[in-house]
Amino acid sequence: MTIISRTEPQPSAGVVEFIGSLRFRAGRFVLIGIPLVILVIWTTVPIVWAVLASLKEPLEIYQSNTLLPSNPSLDAYREVLSMPGFRGWLWNSVLVTVVATIVPLTISILAAYGFARYAFRFRHLLLLLYLVPRIIPRVSLIVPLNNLMTDLGLVNTYWVLFITYTASAIPLATWILVGFFGSIPKEIEESATIDGANMWNRLRRVMIPIAWPGVVTAGVLCIREAWNEFAFVLALVNETGMRTLPYQLYMLKDSMGVQDYAVYNAFTVLTVLPLLIVYLLLERRVVDSIVSGAVK
Amino acid sequence: MDNTFVEFRDLRKSYGALEVLHGINLAIGKHAFVVLVGPSGCGKSTLLRMIAGLEAITAGTISIDGRVVNRIHAKDRGIAMVFQSYALYPHMTVRENLSFSLEMAKTPKDVMVARIERAAGILHLDPLLDRFPAQLSGGQRQRVAMGRALVREPALFLFDEPLSNLDAKLRVEMRAEIKALHQRLQSTTIYVTHDQVEAMTMADLVVVMNDGRIEQSGRPLELYDHPATLFVAEFLGSPAMNLLRGTVVSRSPEKAVDVGGGILLPLPEDASVTAGQDVVYGMRPEHLAIGKPGQGIGAKVSLVEPAGWETHLHAEGGGHIFRVISTKRLDVVPGDPVSLVPDAGRVHLFDAASGLRI
Repeated sequence: MTIISRTEPQPSAGVVEFIGSLRFRAGRFVLIGIPLVILVIWTTVPIVWAVLASLKEPLEIYQSNTLLPSNPSLDAYREVLSMPGFRGWLWNSVLVTVVATIVPLTISILAAYGFARYAFRFRHLLLLLYLVPRIIPRVSLIVPLNNLMTDLGLVNTYWVLFITYTASAIPLATWILVGFFGSIPKEIEESATIDGANMWNRLRRVMIPIAWPGVVTAGVLCIREAWNEFAFVLALVNETGMRTLPYQLYMLKDSMGVQDYAVYNAFTVLTVLPLLIVYLLLERRVVDSIVSGAVK
Repeated sequence: MDNTFVEFRDLRKSYGALEVLHGINLAIGKHAFVVLVGPSGCGKSTLLRMIAGLEAITAGTISIDGRVVNRIHAKDRGIAMVFQSYALYPHMTVRENLSFSLEMAKTPKDVMVARIERAAGILHLDPLLDRFPAQLSGGQRQRVAMGRALVREPALFLFDEPLSNLDAKLRVEMRAEIKALHQRLQSTTIYVTHDQVEAMTMADLVVVMNDGRIEQSGRPLELYDHPATLFVAEFLGSPAMNLLRGTVVSRSPEKAVDVGGGILLPLPEDASVTAGQDVVYGMRPEHLAIGKPGQGIGAKVSLVEPAGWETHLHAEGGGHIFRVISTKRLDVVPGDPVSLVPDAGRVHLFDAASGLRI
């Protein structure tokens, strides 16, 4: 007698593997893909909206509900670039940003190296106190700062911007760099000591290059802080020629609100553009530093 | 003529109130390969770092080539150090790693090139010179670390557990390479490890450290054959020495050691012990032979480890576990009865209270 056993058809191993792989991909998309898509939309929509609005006719924004300009034009950009003070405001922004990046970065590298590598009294307390300027609301600093700077005769000078921007950037940069310097194995620095490097050479030739991603990160944040700074410049500068781009952007609004949205958005795009270029250029360098600097 | 190249005199190290090195005295001859060995926390790495100039000296002196170096900067001590983690500069190529110390010393370019070429040749680094450390294997990084030490042409090489991060096979290979390098260069070397096999196989002089003190120093086989303390006896040798606590008893015509469980172990004829003395009776596993039934210590096999060239046995008898090494291929399985016969001439006796060799 022949016994025939009936079993349900089983999927082959290949099919099971395929389904498993589909599930894995779906799970990965839900966990990583969707949040990323939301984040990209969240960050790019305002910029895209500003770019599109800058290309519209002056009154089109009130008349049309469509996002895309019906008749794209660069007139708003021409108008911004031909504003009599634009070059001066751009120069002011560039100058204070360069100074308020290089100076805090230099001070922060030295301070962070000290905090990360040397044991001294009240080290942790001092590091904590470093954060105080970031914890106190900026607005609350404006009146005392204004009084102080007026007494010093610095209001309406570049110095007032250099000093306040630098002071505001140092804590953040130092905290970032303490973490990076602290994560470098001590043995590498000891090895450099035996190799004959003094403290300056150890910092310049060994520590900074290894912590380069951190230096670039801190630098980018200093640039961003300085470029976008608004409260200090508003409070401590009142001459038209001393304004920075964010200040002038604010001044485009009058008591009736924004008069020409296209010009306003073109000004916004031109204000943001240099920062975007810096981000794109330095992001590549940060990645390169991480790849070539891997310890293990 | 005095051949001393490195000397420690009553060397002490404290961190606050905690003393971690308690008066180290040692003289190391020129061209010697010295291994500091001991368990974690015994102070061997601290001692090495003090020689290197990376740790301050609390008291005592370190002399290198007749010069007290206590207050001399690390770079001026004429030393080079290879770290456990290699400590290569990750942002520099192998060539730049090798040239760094020479650049710092403002070495002329032609001398620098020649030294790098020489080190690269000795350590087979030529094809790797333009790579970054991240692109190298563990063994290659180790070689670069050694190359970096080599180009400085130091009077004294310091190695801090350099093989700990390598796998077993590579460790054996690098061990041989380091030893061969020393034989070729003849530079005085101080090597720190917690691995007693490395200590035994590489050293001219082994220094066993424990709890911030030197337990014993001497040639490897001298220490293996005549350990001065219970600690050294236990630390050197794998499998470890069999150590049984017991009391000396008079058994006419000679004395023996009663280790309990009805086991009386024979004493060497020249053993200077007195009846009633508490001792520790030590037998190396290879000095316990498998005898005929009824002869020696009656035990039962509990574990068999055939290693190919020898067989390791664990046998239980009289409440003790005995470790045995036999170069014969033994036909035994766990549960089999065996008779263990100690070689009375190669027994090690220690005072139970002081732990010192009798």
